[in-house]
Amino acid sequence: MELDVRELTKEFGAVTAVRDVSFTAPAGMVTGLLGPNGSGKTTTLRAALGLVRPTAGTALIGGVPYHGLARPRRSVGALLEATGFHPGRRARDHLRVLAAAAGLPDRRVDEVLAQVGLAEAADRRVRGFSLGMRQRLGLAAALLGEPELLLLDEPANGLDPAGVAWLRGLLRELAGQGRGVVVASHGLAEVAQTADHVVILSGGRLRFAGPLRELGASGGALESAFLKLTTAPA
Amino acid sequence: MLRSELRKLTSVRAPWLLLAAGPLIVVAGVTSLVESGGNVRDPSVQTQALAHAGLAAIITLLFGIMAVAGEYRHATITDTYLSYPARGRVIAAKLAVYGAVGAGAGLASSGAALAATAAWWAAKGATLHLSAADLWLTLAGGAAANLAFALIGVGLGALIRNLVAAVAAGLAWIALIEGIAGQLLGSSLARLLPLHASEALDRTSILGAERLLPQWGGAVVLLGYAAAFASAAALTTLRRDVT
Repeated sequence: MELDVRELTKEFGAVTAVRDVSFTAPAGMVTGLLGPNGSGKTTTLRAALGLVRPTAGTALIGGVPYHGLARPRRSVGALLEATGFHPGRRARDHLRVLAAAAGLPDRRVDEVLAQVGLAEAADRRVRGFSLGMRQRLGLAAALLGEPELLLLDEPANGLDPAGVAWLRGLLRELAGQGRGVVVASHGLAEVAQTADHVVILSGGRLRFAGPLRELGASGGALESAFLKLTTAPA
Repeated sequence: MLRSELRKLTSVRAPWLLLAAGPLIVVAGVTSLVESGGNVRDPSVQTQALAHAGLAAIITLLFGIMAVAGEYRHATITDTYLSYPARGRVIAAKLAVYGAVGAGAGLASSGAALAATAAWWAAKGATLHLSAADLWLTLAGGAAANLAFALIGVGLGALIRNLVAAVAAGLAWIALIEGIAGQLLGSSLARLLPLHASEALDRTSILGAERLLPQWGGAVVLLGYAAAFASAAALTTLRRDVT
């Protein structure tokens, strides 16, 4: 499933977080959504997920807005930085709540816990979790419905090098299955290894959208293109 | 949807610890009524004792507030809206589940009121007038008040969204503001205020109000408040951006 953003604009009072942004994140590819802090990456994802109402424009998933999806969790899996956990709830129960909400069988919970490596910690309460464990739990939640599109905001946050490598493999595998994967990230080196397609935002505006190789073939190509595109005056 | 809301409640301890305080408050209330010289042979005192079941409604109010405001506090509201983008349905489900649990808590508090009253009456050598319709109506009213305030709490928490602010608003209203509002409105309109309505439902008169609604009227008014808060929230605050 693809993410199709068209002329998306979002103003929070006097602040324009996203200004007239259009791009497509195709299915079957990993799309890196890049940009400095405050560039509008998170707002774009939130608009696509129906958490934030656009001032203008649309962000459609498989051609429909989020609230139009028949079974949202089976179409889209999201990992956002501000998704919280009740500290007193066990990891397994956190996922069981989501499974019940999505009409998924409970065995999916055990499956994704194993997939992200939290099977042993599943019965512990989240308040005792490290950042990396919370990230894994959030990833598990995103994967629960076997969604056709994944929208991930800084998914490698808190993961150790083995975790980062594992995540890279997972994302490539999911894209290989024909799913759409969008990763918003600051980690240019990691995105260069993982993504096929790149979208660069800065100051709420689109600076580049296209295949990664268009930015150059050399190892530092992404970083130099990124810095050039995002430090130019708006 | 109801299943996931129920799982949210059964997977944490805090709401149950809160609800457990209800029957304890009821027992304390009955005890203090007797200890302060209540005449156990007076049937109206029996009603007053049993009416303490409605006192636990403060607890179910706080419990209801946690339904939505608690989710905003722990940022789990994001997941909830991702699961159910139709936010009006979310509040409907919470009203159903928190209402059901609140009703259960109400029954527990009514049971506690009956047990405490029976125990004290026996200790003082009096008997309860068990066949009196008044007894059962009073207990039913107390349980219903618990349910009603749980529903009101859900709506209030959804409208205010900030847990601490919603709790403060609820407690301030109960402790202070309704009393003042009642004075300002005069006894005829004051009957429609929530605490006055709950007194009607509980068949008691702790506030010393001159006129109260009939018992069923109290129930209708309280349910009206619950519906008003919940609808207002569904139309306004719940639709706001989640950042």
